[in-house]
Amino acid sequence: MGKKMNSEKLGNFYYGNKTKKRREWRGAADTWYDYTRWLANWKVMAKFMMKPANLKGFFRYRWMGSYLAVPDFVDRHTEGLRGPQLRIAHKEFDFIVEHVCETIGNLFRADPACGGDEEFSRRVVVFDENMMSQIMNGFPNLQMVCREIPVVYTPSTVLQEGVLHYIDVAEEFGLPSDVCPMPAAELGCAIDDDFPQIGICAVNCNTTCDGSLMGNGVEARRFNIPTFQLAVPIRHMQESVQEYGAEEIKNCIKFIEEQTGETFDWDHYFKCMKTFNAETKLFREWLELSKTDYPQIIGNNVALYRDAYYQVGGGRDARFLQNDREITELGYQGYEKKVLCASEVRHRAVLWGVQAQYYTAFPIWLQNCWGILPLIDMLSLTSTSYYSEDDKEQAYLDMADLYMKMNMRNRSNGGYEVGVDDLWRFCEEFRADMVIMYEHIGCKAMAGYHGIFEEQARERGIHLIWVTHGLMDPRKASRKDMRGEVNRYMRAVLQEEPLDPTLEDFADDNNW
Amino acid sequence: MKDLKHLYYLENLLTEANNDLVRQAQEEGRLAVGNVCSLIPEVLLDLPGCFSVRLRAPRTGSMEVGTYYMTSLLCEFCRALVERAMEGGYEFLDCIMAPDACAAMNRAVENMELLKTCNKEKFFITYSDVPMKSDETALKHYVKQMRIRVLEPLNEVYGIDVSDEALRKAVEQHNGVSKLIRELGEYRKEESPRITGYEFHVFCLATYVCPKDLLIPILEDTLKQVKRRRPDEKSPFRARVVLAGSEIDDLDFIKLIEENGAMVVADRHCFGSFPGRDEIKLNDEEDMLTQICRHYMTAGQCPRYMNTDKINERKDYVDQLAKEYKADGIIYEQMKFCDYWGYERMAASYIMEHEYGYPVLSVDRPYVVGTSGQLRTRVQAFVEGLEIKKIHRRQ
Repeated sequence: MGKKMNSEKLGNFYYGNKTKKRREWRGAADTWYDYTRWLANWKVMAKFMMKPANLKGFFRYRWMGSYLAVPDFVDRHTEGLRGPQLRIAHKEFDFIVEHVCETIGNLFRADPACGGDEEFSRRVVVFDENMMSQIMNGFPNLQMVCREIPVVYTPSTVLQEGVLHYIDVAEEFGLPSDVCPMPAAELGCAIDDDFPQIGICAVNCNTTCDGSLMGNGVEARRFNIPTFQLAVPIRHMQESVQEYGAEEIKNCIKFIEEQTGETFDWDHYFKCMKTFNAETKLFREWLELSKTDYPQIIGNNVALYRDAYYQVGGGRDARFLQNDREITELGYQGYEKKVLCASEVRHRAVLWGVQAQYYTAFPIWLQNCWGILPLIDMLSLTSTSYYSEDDKEQAYLDMADLYMKMNMRNRSNGGYEVGVDDLWRFCEEFRADMVIMYEHIGCKAMAGYHGIFEEQARERGIHLIWVTHGLMDPRKASRKDMRGEVNRYMRAVLQEEPLDPTLEDFADDNNW
Repeated sequence: MKDLKHLYYLENLLTEANNDLVRQAQEEGRLAVGNVCSLIPEVLLDLPGCFSVRLRAPRTGSMEVGTYYMTSLLCEFCRALVERAMEGGYEFLDCIMAPDACAAMNRAVENMELLKTCNKEKFFITYSDVPMKSDETALKHYVKQMRIRVLEPLNEVYGIDVSDEALRKAVEQHNGVSKLIRELGEYRKEESPRITGYEFHVFCLATYVCPKDLLIPILEDTLKQVKRRRPDEKSPFRARVVLAGSEIDDLDFIKLIEENGAMVVADRHCFGSFPGRDEIKLNDEEDMLTQICRHYMTAGQCPRYMNTDKINERKDYVDQLAKEYKADGIIYEQMKFCDYWGYERMAASYIMEHEYGYPVLSVDRPYVVGTSGQLRTRVQAFVEGLEIKKIHRRQ
């Protein structure tokens, strides 16, 4: 029990209940820092609950109950961390907590069942999950809300059973249980009438997968507001599709203008893209750090946060940039001091495929238990291009590029060049000897490469560990099952001993 | 009813992807162009000098290899194609024109490419980005994609004539075959029909997987025979159904439905006559490729089309078919693990029942269904339900 990593036996904290036995001792300075951040998150949530509309919403919507597990969620993602990594994690997760509270606050403000602010609702454009938001950079007077993120996506991440009810509702309605649980849960939520009915219009996109696209079409029947279907090309690497993507963006902008009476503001758009480019520049620096012997901003400290600012932030919220700067500074400090992210670094891994929403803290476990550094994950490896800050025609192409390359979509669509070939390129760049291959049971796009991955990994001498999961449905493969697949490989193939034996097998099925 | 003269021949023919008529056409010097989805306009692959072969894997048994490469979570049709490709079953192809339509099919074709399953010297595969909406912007994109991913490669690699004149000829051939198929299908409207859904499916399916010109004499002869054919005095069927859904190239599936008393009077699926055997109407003003693409885009009933108009149109379309062919009910089917049809089947089953008032049987199925006792039971129960409804209506 002390300042050093692995000095606490973390598996002993789990005793079969929702909560853990006690908070982790990380040495005086880190424990105090962590504790104050824990209090700060409570403060943000308490402030949120003090608004009458939010209080109403809390009792109106089933999914709001999941947010009670937020402090545990942050604890899960900081487990075992020390020094700069702990601070980076808090910078990211605490800001996400604040941001989600604001988003839900906006939802409830506009929601007739809670705040009932009709005027505000008329300024809200509803976007679907996984969708990039850069189009809204040109509409400073409008609010963009990614409808499913606070309602389905985040609850399933915060609480492992967060959306099981909605999945069951969709399946009872007749949806096959073999489709991806994410659009299934979203559909269940729509069938259950558990989405706030807000907004003047909506934009749906052919996002990550066939299921997601189809779910949107059915859900649109429930929302009853004018909806634009943004169909950006699937084969996004082909030069010949770019023009169509840009045309669709123009159509979408025209639709929003017609529905809201607003005009696309190019000055504001370019201002936001400057911020977005600055964020991209910092992200590139993080990646460069991760290629060295002393990576600093890795695993959980990239994954969810990258989703948030690349997709939802989109350059409109300059607070992300400020946060990024502070994170980068912490990263460089750690690098200069040659701080390691695990007590002993045994393997450098790229995480490929789609992560389990109910176990986004899995990469931390890899570090703490086996000394596997989760350098980067597939969902974070989105576009790192710089986009135009002054050319309008180029901007249409840029927006199309971003929508085509939204999180996950840029790898699950576009062919084996981006789904398979790029993996080996990243392994080389990051000097990875291991790939943690998430096999999400409902994801057809990645499952279709199963044999190819196996064969090509063998050819390259890379350790490929399959980790099967059910994305938002832990009943299909629990957190323990996921760990079991790594444990088996580490024991049977590599014949290694864990850094923390208590983390090899512990009871967290009932944990939040 | 007397047996149809060419039925047995075609049934046998359909047990092979590389069938007698395909071989005959190749011996005549024509190219076999593999096709995996109706989103690539078939007529573009039926230009003079080549012919389209819609890929299927008849007599599929084990899918172990396909499952290794694509896991057990992808649709069996796609896995069966990969399995067949690995066995060398598509070696005869000169190229494959694939759309990036559904993820599973796209992966199937990519596996075929990466695993080098076709080894002809000039063999190639192209992947097209095909529209997900039906509007003028999408049409422009569609035309561009078909030009650079289908016509230009055919011309550059094999010297195929892709002029407007050649396209017009291909359309004429398509229209000729479609007219014959539709005329045959019309006989399913009769109370005691002169052609069963199964028989019709055999002829219709053949038009997707054989060179069309070689089939025309068979279809003409069959049409004459059906015109003269005396139907049974009393229809052997207890109910009439529209069959709607995804890929059905397994003859046994429709046989199973009909054996259990439900005649398939209309076929809205990827190997069916609706909308695949619609006539393509051409004018002299617009360029040929645009007209062809517009036809496929507007007539297309694939659930992949995501715009609201198309989503609603799909239900109206099935409703129109049910009315025209006097169906008592609708069977919605999907290949298990198909995301597109999983959602479409769920929504359509509910909407057609609750908003349009049809009894609906909603099933998901494996690729090969012939011996499925479970499916048999479900069809039997559905037919009984339809009969009871009829009795209630009479009372």
